[in-house]
Amino acid sequence: MTGGRPLGLVLLEMILLVLLGPLVTGTIQKMKARLQCRQGAGVLQPYRDLAKLLRKSTVQADTASGFFRSIPLLVLAATVAAGALVPVVRVGPPAVPLGDAVMLLGLLALARFLTAVGALDAGGAFGGMGASREMTIAPLVEPVLMMVVFSTAVGAGTTELGTLAAHRGTSWILGWSAADFLGFAAMLVLLPAETGRIPVDNPDTHLELTMLHEGMLLEHSGPGLGCMVLASHTRQIVTLGLVSALFFPVGPANGAGATSLLLGAGRFAATILVLATYLALVESSYAKLRLFRVPQYLGVGFVCALTALALRIL
Amino acid sequence: MAETLLWVLPLVPTVTAVLMLTTRDRRMLSAIDIGGSVVLLALTLVLAREVATGGPRALGVFRIDALGLVFLLLLVVLTLAVSIYTVGWLRQAVAVGNMKAEFLRSYFALVHAFVATMVVTVLADNLGILWIAMEGTTITSAILVGFHGHHHGLEAAWKYIIVTTIGISFGLFGTVLIYAAAAAAGVQGGAGALSWSAIMKVAPTLDPGIVRVGFIFVVVGYGTKAGLAPMHLWLPDAHSQAPTPVSALLSGVLIKCALLGIIRFQTIAAAACGPAFPAQVLLIFGLISIVVATPFILAQHDIKRLLGYHSVEHVGIVALGLGFGGPVGTYGALLHVVNHGITKALAFFAAGKAIARYGSRDMRVIRGLFVVAPIGATLLMLAALSLAGVPPFSIFVSELMVLRAGIGHGDWVAIAIFLTMVVVIFAGILHHVSAMAFGEPTAAAGREAEAWSPLLGMWLLAAIMILLGLTIPASLDRLLRRATEIIVG
Amino acid sequence: MSAETVQTIIDDLGALLLFTMILIVAAGQIYRAIYAVAAQSFLIAIAGGVLAMATGNVDLWVIAGVTLAVKATLLPWVLHRVVQRMNVRREVEPVIPIAGTLALAVVIVVASFQLSASLGPVRQAITGNALPVGIALTLTGVLVMATRKTALTQMVGLFASENGIFFTAMAVTQGMPLIIEIGVILDVILAALVMTIMVLRVRSTVDADIADLDRLRG
Repeated sequence: MTGGRPLGLVLLEMILLVLLGPLVTGTIQKMKARLQCRQGAGVLQPYRDLAKLLRKSTVQADTASGFFRSIPLLVLAATVAAGALVPVVRVGPPAVPLGDAVMLLGLLALARFLTAVGALDAGGAFGGMGASREMTIAPLVEPVLMMVVFSTAVGAGTTELGTLAAHRGTSWILGWSAADFLGFAAMLVLLPAETGRIPVDNPDTHLELTMLHEGMLLEHSGPGLGCMVLASHTRQIVTLGLVSALFFPVGPANGAGATSLLLGAGRFAATILVLATYLALVESSYAKLRLFRVPQYLGVGFVCALTALALRIL
Repeated sequence: MAETLLWVLPLVPTVTAVLMLTTRDRRMLSAIDIGGSVVLLALTLVLAREVATGGPRALGVFRIDALGLVFLLLLVVLTLAVSIYTVGWLRQAVAVGNMKAEFLRSYFALVHAFVATMVVTVLADNLGILWIAMEGTTITSAILVGFHGHHHGLEAAWKYIIVTTIGISFGLFGTVLIYAAAAAAGVQGGAGALSWSAIMKVAPTLDPGIVRVGFIFVVVGYGTKAGLAPMHLWLPDAHSQAPTPVSALLSGVLIKCALLGIIRFQTIAAAACGPAFPAQVLLIFGLISIVVATPFILAQHDIKRLLGYHSVEHVGIVALGLGFGGPVGTYGALLHVVNHGITKALAFFAAGKAIARYGSRDMRVIRGLFVVAPIGATLLMLAALSLAGVPPFSIFVSELMVLRAGIGHGDWVAIAIFLTMVVVIFAGILHHVSAMAFGEPTAAAGREAEAWSPLLGMWLLAAIMILLGLTIPASLDRLLRRATEIIVG
Repeated sequence: MSAETVQTIIDDLGALLLFTMILIVAAGQIYRAIYAVAAQSFLIAIAGGVLAMATGNVDLWVIAGVTLAVKATLLPWVLHRVVQRMNVRREVEPVIPIAGTLALAVVIVVASFQLSASLGPVRQAITGNALPVGIALTLTGVLVMATRKTALTQMVGLFASENGIFFTAMAVTQGMPLIIEIGVILDVILAALVMTIMVLRVRSTVDADIADLDRLRG
């Protein structure tokens, strides 16, 4: 549906998300380091890593096909396109209909699928293992995300993310309905799974036994790897943006002035910071779960989401 | 006069319990025990006469009417019988080592505390107080079930306390729902809306939907305590592992008190939703209990577990009687409550003596009882015959009444199931008990003479049992009729 | 405080209670179950306080306070001490896999909502979501008791079930009369005490959990 956000603003928001993605990762890394009583790398370190990767040359396995080379670009494209659907500084539907929350989840799922295919394509053992593990987690995560989106959407009557965010209004916890509490709880359970963090996956290690996401990236190198890493940063900030749009209060919906835009941006940044802190705390407090315990963990999220949906409908 | 008695009555066993803690001497304890029970019985008889002449009496949260009086009389008579029986039983138990002398006074105190909670259950007019007292009976009796201290007892006590507390939580939930319905119907708030008599006055105006759901929760809840299947799983364990006098109280009275709770709610539900609905619910649970208990009775080796399953079956028969309804069915059900209480207590007493004599609960070990203990064996046979439903014993009469009610109700399927099960159980229990009583005594048989005090307690009960089988005395008949009127309306 | 605000707060608390209930069902370790039930009792105490503020019923303040002191603090502390000192088993052993129990919990929640929807008219006293949440809590507590082999987790299930009944009573009728509520809490304390003693008794003589004993059969 058409609405208040001009296309230019949407594209600007998309670029903003891509640019700020690595910053969020860097912030989480820094917070984790501080919590673990060490200095840690700087907040801008992910940018330096990306720059380093872009300078390197690509090495490809003999068994990989030509399709393998295009995977990183496709994954990045899918993730960035998903980023276009997230309202950042202003809410309300975009001027040109782009897609709704279901499309966003579909694009993220597409990115995940392509990553797994690429890992299998290279023919290595680590890639295959990582891909199979990732695909074990995926059917538990994605339906829950859908249910959370639907439980909020039932209240608003649409699945378009900008409208959902506008529906949220300026009220926060006291304005949440009973279903929102449970939906938010489900999202909190799912965030580490979707962003590939402890307790589901360990983003810092490259040991074979603990890799899910990292295992799938192992065969990529050079700029390809850079694209994949950027895609995972973007995926993270897109997911956080989804949570922000669904559950957190928004800035002013209209008002084209610079102040309202800045306020909106500030509010978004604050929400992302809060969620990033949550992720850092969870990563520092828990150990990674063994793979067969992950379904139990995600099961809690599943039940919360299902109950949220039930509370809405019944 | 009668009103003060309402408050004094629960105090008597409480005071007795406290008095028990003052002495360690076994004779003294037994004397206080019997004394307390006699006082309780005397006061109850006075109260009964007051109610017979003057109608129901109430004071605060307590109330006594003909219905409660039936259960109260059963309770106090059995308490006295148990007290008499315990004198001899305890001597033997201490000698063998089943009961430790230093714990005796806690045992007696707990028994009377248990009796006190049951008295409150029967006298309660306030449904909340009824619930609290029910839970109180669970707590006190759970300690008693595990009193011997070995693992089987503790396991049984644990299962008992967990399952009945779950069940009684359902009962509380049902009570809350009925309370909500009553409060909505305009009964004055606060304690008033929990008062059974107050609710009965406005019962036809209660919202039937809520009362229906509430009643089902109550039947599941209090039914767990009463031993209705499929919530009965704790009963064989608890009733078999408990010390014998406690088993008699549990099977004889406690499950009946839970039934009283159900009956109170049944009258409310009948007034609010029509009598067909609660009758149907009770009918179903009754049939399930009877059917479920039967195979376990046949395939049983432990004599006290056998009696436990029998209790499940007979509670089913009472529920069946209430389910068939009408004056005949209800009268039969109430009569069965009394008859089964007396008979089951007698059966437990006799079984307890046999177990003490042979040192084992296994029925295959107990053989030739007639040779070593003729009086005890006779009493055991009498009790078993009565439980099986043989005339001229009391249970035959009440079962016949339930059957007549069923025929009048036209529920042929239920009657067919009932009759089949009764016949099967008759065969089964006769087989078990005759195997125990006749034949040559096994090596395990103790040859000492029979103690007099347990026999006295048993003869007391047997006399009542035979009397009620032959005829129902006029005063009891009047009482039962009035109680029936309260239920049927 | 307007009636709608009270309604919303009670609804929100109901959602949080459902969340704690999910945590209790999904708890893999006994400590998590104990903390979850303590949090649940805490939320119930808050609900009591809110209702007390709204209706001005002094009894509700007392009930809320007693719930806070006893069920949110004292009983979980006792259980915690028992787990620490007595070396009872820390893992929760389920009879059916935890995923299955979670599925049953969802079924229970949905069924509770259907059940309370069919209850119809006595709605003027019932605040919105409170009745189905109460029913769900009660039934899930029973589910936990029935599907766990650890004695202390069964006790946690018992407390959760009582919480559910309390919540229903509080929200549906603004609480039952004070003396009844106090009596109920006393009963719960006594039952917990007796159960704790039994657990410790078996623990100290045989190295087994009392809920594990299953020699009585047939």
